[in-house]
Amino acid sequence: MDELDDIIQEFLVESHENLDQLDRDLVALEQDPGSREMLSSIFRTIHTIKGTSGFLAFHRLETLTHAGESLLSRLRDGAQRMNPASADALLAMVDTVRTLLGSIEESGGEGDVDVEPVIAMVAACIEDPAAPAPARAAAPASKAETKAETVESVEAVEAVEPAAPEKPADPPAAKAAKSAPARAAKGPAAGADETAGQNTKRGIADSSIRVDVDLLDTLMRLVGELVLTRNQIVRGVSEISDPALVRTTQRLNLITSELQESVMKTRMQPIDHIWSKLPRVVRDLSGAMGKKVKLAMEGKETELDRSLLEAVKDPLTHLVRNAVDHGIETAAERVAKGKDPEGTLTLRAAHEGGHVIVEIKDDGAGIDVDRVAQTALDRGVVTRDQLSRMDTREIIALVFRAGFSTAKKVTNVSGRGVGMDVVKTNIEQIGGAVDVDSTLGAGTTWRLTIPLTLAIIQALTVECGAERYAIPQVGVDELVFVDGQSGQTIEHVSGAPVYRLRGKLLPLVRLDETLGLPVRNSDRDVYIAVLQADGRRFGLVVDRVLNTEEIVVKPLSGRMKDVGVYAGSTIVGDGKVALILDIPSLARRAHLAAETIERAQVDQADARPRDSHIERLLIAGIGERRVAIPLDMVTRLEEFPVQRIERVGSREVVQYRDHILPVIRLASLLGCYDVEEGETVPAVVYTERGRSVALVVQQIVDIVEDHIESRSDLDDDGLTGSAVIQQRVTELLDVRRAILAADPRFYAEMSESMVGA
Amino acid sequence: MPSRQYATFEVADQLFGVDVAQVQEVLRFHEYTRVPLAPTSVGGLFNLRGQVIDAVDLRVQLGLPARDLSVPAMNVIVSVDDEWVSLLVDRIGEVIELDDEAFEPPPDTLAGAYRHLIIGTFKLEDRLMLALDARRAADTTVPVPAQHADEARMARSA
Repeated sequence: MDELDDIIQEFLVESHENLDQLDRDLVALEQDPGSREMLSSIFRTIHTIKGTSGFLAFHRLETLTHAGESLLSRLRDGAQRMNPASADALLAMVDTVRTLLGSIEESGGEGDVDVEPVIAMVAACIEDPAAPAPARAAAPASKAETKAETVESVEAVEAVEPAAPEKPADPPAAKAAKSAPARAAKGPAAGADETAGQNTKRGIADSSIRVDVDLLDTLMRLVGELVLTRNQIVRGVSEISDPALVRTTQRLNLITSELQESVMKTRMQPIDHIWSKLPRVVRDLSGAMGKKVKLAMEGKETELDRSLLEAVKDPLTHLVRNAVDHGIETAAERVAKGKDPEGTLTLRAAHEGGHVIVEIKDDGAGIDVDRVAQTALDRGVVTRDQLSRMDTREIIALVFRAGFSTAKKVTNVSGRGVGMDVVKTNIEQIGGAVDVDSTLGAGTTWRLTIPLTLAIIQALTVECGAERYAIPQVGVDELVFVDGQSGQTIEHVSGAPVYRLRGKLLPLVRLDETLGLPVRNSDRDVYIAVLQADGRRFGLVVDRVLNTEEIVVKPLSGRMKDVGVYAGSTIVGDGKVALILDIPSLARRAHLAAETIERAQVDQADARPRDSHIERLLIAGIGERRVAIPLDMVTRLEEFPVQRIERVGSREVVQYRDHILPVIRLASLLGCYDVEEGETVPAVVYTERGRSVALVVQQIVDIVEDHIESRSDLDDDGLTGSAVIQQRVTELLDVRRAILAADPRFYAEMSESMVGA
Repeated sequence: MPSRQYATFEVADQLFGVDVAQVQEVLRFHEYTRVPLAPTSVGGLFNLRGQVIDAVDLRVQLGLPARDLSVPAMNVIVSVDDEWVSLLVDRIGEVIELDDEAFEPPPDTLAGAYRHLIIGTFKLEDRLMLALDARRAADTTVPVPAQHADEARMARSA
């Protein structure tokens, strides 16, 4: 019932506005009777009211507007011309519509408003008796009769106007046209006043107004300025210790925040605006696919900025369609799996830490990691090497890459390979993020993180080369300080900087270098902001991290947009301008740079003999021997305390991040006698599709990029050959074979677990 | 006689002028935010009462070496296509009223960046004033035409 009330309310607000416009249009039409454009507009308005009133079962309103529509359609089509009589009739109809609306607003029903006289009056104006007669057929009006009819009709109008404060004496026909609209304007107004006086309840038309979006934008901009000025004052006052000033500042602070919130609210709309169309989408789609899907919605009332709402609409619809198409199985499949034949799709929206989180969750088949990996390989989205270094989450995230689709067959709904990457791009464009989490067999959850507004964002301010830059907080995962004192450093893999973040190699992008600023010499005491963009994680090296604050995004002028790495500018606390970095562009730019390096290497390699090739190798020492492990295979470098290595049967394991990691000692594998150990042993963690193994070595010597010329084949288990690297004979480890030699079941179990999961 | 008011300023000892109606204000400023990777003609950004303004280095636009922005510079803020842009200049001159009669199209000998940026010349009593096309002067997307030092000299003596 609430929903119906909402619809009626909306209908009333809209109709009141439309009627005001109609009054003006009708009067204007009398001056310019031939204006088809205006007639069409009037016709549409009446038609809308008629349609909605029919739907809402306001029959008298429907009949009345139907009569008006008949006359209007003739006028519009040029079957007859507008004359004062028709104008009067139409105005009278508008008044009666208004009266009916007033009654609906007050009592919820049409009350005892009599519409027949007006219908007769309108019908009388229709010159062609063959025209579809309105509710009650009226005698065709000849031109001579028109005048008299009009007089009669005007009286009729008065009769149906209960709100009219006084009844004037029968006006002459000539006056009718003037007085009718005049009273029309007075009638409902008086009625509204009365209502207001009686129960102080504002009429619907009075309690809400339509405001130009531009005006709201201006307000928003001004509030943005105020926020900045507030920030400056707060900063300034913190340096002066005047209690009175501090109190005033706190108050200013509070008021500004509240004002900002209120102004933002004016632009807010509940997410239901875009959700309301989804039940139909789900119903039609699941019907067409022979699936049963129940749609649940939580947090409909969650509000976000209207411009963002618009931007989220398409991605959201796509995700919902995708969930029904690919996520939820058919009823038969579900029954076979022991699930409820009816699938559930849950939409959940909530505010969370300055963002709106929208979740699209299904209890369907889940994402098959194996298939995603295979498809990504087939489509050339990733290379086998890249894939081998990815964990499950990263593999699932491949669905966001361009040109990816795992649908077995292309349906007319989704599965054309456009979509997920577009979803991601669209959401990132508005400063948001998309995540996906899936359990095979149990379902998938897509999670959109959307900023509340475009104009004000949370940002991390950093310093690099004496300038400050802002990084939108949504892309920042964590901050790392590279402490020169404790010996942490940035390492280089063939010239590309990397950092060992908890053992895993994190590619780095130097902000100074990327921006073409003078590059600082020292890698010590710098900060790394770990960022996420385009499904990749990378570290941005900056000189200093200042703080996180709310910043007001200022659009860039055309000449700055062309540069491509800035998302906007902002004014920071001390009044200086800081540029906002566009993380995805920065990532792309850095990626491009990496490609350039690779290309340069390829060119170099081309100049050399064909049979040699470049490899990045991790050199480990085992006793006196040196073993090279392709770096592509390595996910992490760890140090394990010796006492943490436990025995399970004949195998050694170590507890690592809530998992049991099989330990393989390369020394025993390669037949070296165990050389004495310290308290900890270095280990190379190798991960393939979510399964990891630790290769214990004696020492990690170096990471080199080598171009291997002299290589001899060896027949030893686990080695592919040997090469001269850094003037020393180094054995090249075949990681897969080494693992198999130590644990023949590693891959077998892995494929089992893939099937079983 | 029809006449027009020009706000005048100097860049590299040459007197320039723009129609006063286009000038929003003139101010000295020193805290510019550099924009790495932007064309060199973009001197930087600065905050003018809450508005972020691009400062365009006229020296670069005229094919000269960029200005040192660590010292305060004069900004002539002009309105181009409803957007405020600052033109960085060496010195501010007076606002002068000039008869349209004193106007001449740019001399044929004028070449390179100068020719691209000016509408014409005005003969003053003791020197020449070049009337600047503010829109072109603020446009950093067009690469500055190649200009030799002697051409620049020629332009100044023109």
